[in-house]
Amino acid sequence: MISLAGRDILHAWGKFVFTGVGLGLLIGVTLIMAGVYRGMVDDGKALLDNSGADLWVVQKDTLGPYAESSSLNDDVYRTILAMPGVAQAANVTYLTMQVRKSQSDVRTMVVGIAPGKLGATPGWPPYLVAGRQLTRGHYEAVADIATGFKLGDRIAIRRNHYTVVGLTRRMVSSSGDPMVFIPLKDAQEAQFLKDNDAIWQSRRRTEAKPAFNRPGVPGLLDAVIASQSTNAFVNAVLVTLKPGHAPNEVAESIRRWKRLTVYTRAQMEGILIGKLIATSAKQIAMFLVILAIVSAAIVAFIIYSLTMDKIREIAVLKLIGTRNRTIAAMIMQQALALGVIGFVVGKITATFSAPIFPKYVLLTPMDSVAGFFAVLLICVLASLVAIRMALKVDPAEAIG
Amino acid sequence: MKRLPLQGRTLALLAVIVPLLALFIYVGLRSGPLAPVTVTVVAVESRAVTPALFGIGTVEARYTYKIGPTFAGRIKQLDVHVGDQVKAGQVLGEMEPVDLDDRVRSQDSAFKRAEAALREAQARQVYAQTQARRYMQLFAVRSTSEEIVSTKRQELQITNAALSAAREDVARTRSDREGLVAQRSNLRLIAPVEGVIAERDADPGTTVVAGQAVVEIIDPKSLWINVRFDQISAAGLAGGLPARIVLRSRGGQALKGSVLRVEPKADAVTEETLAKVTFENKPEPVPPVGELAEVTVDLPALPAAPLIPNAAVRREGDKVGVWQIVEGDLHFSPVKLGASDLNGYVQVREGLKNGDQIVTYSEKALTARSRIHVVDHIPGVSR
Amino acid sequence: MSRKGIRIESLSKRYGEGDAAVFALKDVNMLVEPGEVVGLIGPSGSGKSTLLKCLGAVTDPTAGRMTLGDDIIYDNGWKVRDLRALRRDKIGFVFQAPYLIPFLDATDNVALLPMLAGVPNDEARARALELLTALDVQHRAQAMPAQLSGGEQQRVSIARGLVNHPPVILADEPTAPLDSVRAMAVVRILNDMARKLETAIIVVTHDEKIIPTFKRIYHIRDGVTHEEVGEGRGFE
Repeated sequence: MISLAGRDILHAWGKFVFTGVGLGLLIGVTLIMAGVYRGMVDDGKALLDNSGADLWVVQKDTLGPYAESSSLNDDVYRTILAMPGVAQAANVTYLTMQVRKSQSDVRTMVVGIAPGKLGATPGWPPYLVAGRQLTRGHYEAVADIATGFKLGDRIAIRRNHYTVVGLTRRMVSSSGDPMVFIPLKDAQEAQFLKDNDAIWQSRRRTEAKPAFNRPGVPGLLDAVIASQSTNAFVNAVLVTLKPGHAPNEVAESIRRWKRLTVYTRAQMEGILIGKLIATSAKQIAMFLVILAIVSAAIVAFIIYSLTMDKIREIAVLKLIGTRNRTIAAMIMQQALALGVIGFVVGKITATFSAPIFPKYVLLTPMDSVAGFFAVLLICVLASLVAIRMALKVDPAEAIG
Repeated sequence: MKRLPLQGRTLALLAVIVPLLALFIYVGLRSGPLAPVTVTVVAVESRAVTPALFGIGTVEARYTYKIGPTFAGRIKQLDVHVGDQVKAGQVLGEMEPVDLDDRVRSQDSAFKRAEAALREAQARQVYAQTQARRYMQLFAVRSTSEEIVSTKRQELQITNAALSAAREDVARTRSDREGLVAQRSNLRLIAPVEGVIAERDADPGTTVVAGQAVVEIIDPKSLWINVRFDQISAAGLAGGLPARIVLRSRGGQALKGSVLRVEPKADAVTEETLAKVTFENKPEPVPPVGELAEVTVDLPALPAAPLIPNAAVRREGDKVGVWQIVEGDLHFSPVKLGASDLNGYVQVREGLKNGDQIVTYSEKALTARSRIHVVDHIPGVSR
Repeated sequence: MSRKGIRIESLSKRYGEGDAAVFALKDVNMLVEPGEVVGLIGPSGSGKSTLLKCLGAVTDPTAGRMTLGDDIIYDNGWKVRDLRALRRDKIGFVFQAPYLIPFLDATDNVALLPMLAGVPNDEARARALELLTALDVQHRAQAMPAQLSGGEQQRVSIARGLVNHPPVILADEPTAPLDSVRAMAVVRILNDMARKLETAIIVVTHDEKIIPTFKRIYHIRDGVTHEEVGEGRGFE
């Protein structure tokens, strides 16, 4: 017995491949949507992994430092360092801002990393793709390649210029903004110090206040202005633990004795994925459902129209004695072949277009496998309509 | 007749399907989580390392002389402006004397009065002395009573004391007068050394309090840089080390200098060590006080030891080390690090030997189970 | 009655009920012996197509009996269970239009029938090729239907009707698109087949060229048939 479906496809292969490609693009879009969601979750996880911390200490009763702004004194880390179970405690600041290079600027998350032992200080980028880590205490930066900066570029953050000495990959904030790492003191200044005009205004305002500008106390005004120009705050303290200490225990003791809010890795994941990404996730889920329905409708329509084109031949086949199930099998095989072509095209399209998207798109093998079976299922269901039509055909129509 | 197995049409279709399938398999294996991680590898070499310290500071004058009155008053005149060169002893300005002149005159009169009182006391003393001597002589020839002799002696003593008092009075009024004159001369603001006027804090007519500076003088020859180094990276900082100074307004031009001293008191709040660095040659033109400067202090070179780029240093669990390639497999080797230089190389004290292959850059975080693919440089990173 | 051949007794086909009833066929009797080639002639609207559909086991008659060889197909309301298998194995169709499957080539179009019956592909194709040769289209064996001329298509279609060597063949205007030489060839083949394989062949036609070749002719008008003796001329 020859394969009727196979012969039909071979005969009208152009139409099939063309339709398959169209369906494939639709499937590709669906896969990419799923990839966008996974990418968002992965962005959150990458942010937590790359900070290298086991605990995050933030301002009391905030969800910071990523989900909410948090402000701590920069000497709090010293008391945390003294707690049992703590291996390293380092200050860190985060500020999302525009970083300028010549004429263009890029939206980045500027991370201020504390000076410390190479490799052991949390907050430092855990791996590089080019260049080196920071060695100087000021005016050097390590940037993520998603910013578009290259080694040796001079970038401007607020009023200072930094030389890019190292490049990283996949260091992004939870909203997908690439990171730029600079020394902590420079970052504190950037977070606090405004442009020159604003500084002049603030100095003038202070001079105008008689309480600060007492003639009998020379030096008072200078001291006040100096205190206004320093920033002794950081956004969080990153803590790594000594081996053998459970994160929850150490977190609890910091909470109790230092009266700060502490999150473990699991809790931070819950905050990032549960609060930051939740709305986007629902949005994408709805999109996926809509795309699946649209795909099913398209496959059903195509198979129906292909079958209707052959209705005369189907009548002849029935007349000359072809079994109903042979005819049904022919239609279903065509639907499945269309689905397979569509899936192959879709997977290839998705893989090659994923890097082009501005945010990270993560395509997992499980998603592809699930997608494959979903496509097959949709094709089977969509072909039922056409099969029903075909089986209802009266073979007598073939005779005059 | 034997049927040909492949028709032209089937061949055309295969020409489309086979590459598609191959692409599909390639995509499945090479991208996504199944793909191997691209890494670059370098061999550990022994080299001498020249560590250096980096700090930023501001240009300051070593000595700043704040010239002002010693008591409250009003400025009468100020002859100098910012930027003027002054010599030692030059009069810069004057305060209003107000009532000082009158007080000096009053003190003059008091002095003269004291002198007159002294003369009176002297006269009395001379008289008492003569009287005492005469009655002593009379007592010797029994012409007078002992009581009168004692009385005359007592008068002599009284007048002696009065004379001392009058002399001290004169001294007192003289000192008072000299004090007021000194104060009167203090009304003039005098430059203590040769230098340049850096600031003019008050203009004529302004009332200033005692201790408030009216002008500030600095000696441009005595400029130095007050540098702050992060305490963590300040090991080895000591006086006498050579330094390279880059002024902010002259980026790219490195001036030579040396560390004068490390301050005994560090900044506990900002956790920085302070040091003073001087210029070897006075920079032309003179940089303004307060300009920012970046200072690199070169420490003495260390002997050759295995050196690795600091990008290779990673953390795994609680250990610091590098990913080493041993017979094609990835293996995490903990290391103990030594001195590092500003170009990103760090010495390895323990854990690696020369010739070991270590991973420097990778496109993802590595684990012991990662499959790796060694390349020259990571794709996607433009050179 | 021998083992093959087809026989109809009092066959009627009624559409509608009661007063509105229309009889497409009224008490039709027909007998075709194995080896015979009979003609069926009638104008359009005479019930010719209905008779053909009943003979082809495509439409069920409302009354009467139809026998194929020794097997009763229809008997006054009763019908045999697997009509489809019957059509596949026992009845060969040659249609007015070729109705070739467009995505199979000429050989496969013909070979499809034996394949459906379980014959292995090679043998089926060999049989197909035999018939195509007999019909003088073997040089177009690999061509797709779209590449064949009208006459070639018709011949392939005839080959399909004959390939399973069915005991009964129903041919509906088989020679309509053919020229006289080819038409005679077709009639010759039909007669050869009838004689060799003892096939009973009913040919519906109004082609003047071939009517004289029939020995017996059934005329049908308004659902009623009557038999006539034909000229029975030879085929030149």
